Amino acid sequence: MSDDMPDFSNVKGGSSSTATKIYVVVAGDSLSKIAKREYGNAKEWNRIFEANKDILKDPDKIYPGQKLKIPPK
Amino acid sequence: METRILCALLVSTALVIAACGKKEEPKTSPAPAPAPSVQPAPAPAGVAVSSVTAGSAIGVDKKVTVPTDSFARSDTMYISVDTSGSGTAKLDAKWTYRKGNNVAVVKEDSMTINSTGPATHEFHVSKPDGWPAGDYEVEITLDGQSAGSRKLTVK
Repeated sequence: MSDDMPDFSNVKGGSSSTATKIYVVVAGDSLSKIAKREYGNAKEWNRIFEANKDILKDPDKIYPGQKLKIPPK
Repeated sequence: METRILCALLVSTALVIAACGKKEEPKTSPAPAPAPSVQPAPAPAGVAVSSVTAGSAIGVDKKVTVPTDSFARSDTMYISVDTSGSGTAKLDAKWTYRKGNNVAVVKEDSMTINSTGPATHEFHVSKPDGWPAGDYEVEITLDGQSAGSRKLTVK
């Protein structure tokens, strides 16, 4: 890239959908962190927990590689 | 005596000839089983992109409410993607900036969706200190295949 190209390192991005999204858990994730990223509000973690009760027994125990359903906003 | 022998010989010869001439009934081979009808393969129940729209605002339905390809420096740029079909698919958005022959990647984002019918998805980007004026482009790919793009301008 040429030196006179602008710096885009501070660009913020995001996405949302009317469909259920699938999120793959990575190390360091928690339902609160995912809710913050997906909904903009960490307190909405329970929506994700409720949508994934078939695979989650404890909201504090999620594992890297798990595929969580993220209900639409 | 010779006559009797001759007669017997003739009769037996006639019988043999008759037997040889008898036609065998043609064996009926079982009717060939009807060829299994070839059913057309069901259309893949995959997800397909039906439209890609750019704008500076979206509604709760993720559709663009202010469609435009031209943005102000402080705008958030949205791209709304309508899909049809059902299934799981990966949508990617790659935002780029072009200046002469140089191209810079502005942002890349992706989402995996599990769609059960028509749905709308959106990607957005913003820059706290404002967008440099110039030409931008966003390309949408669906499962790695290009599904549409929009050329954008910041003035």
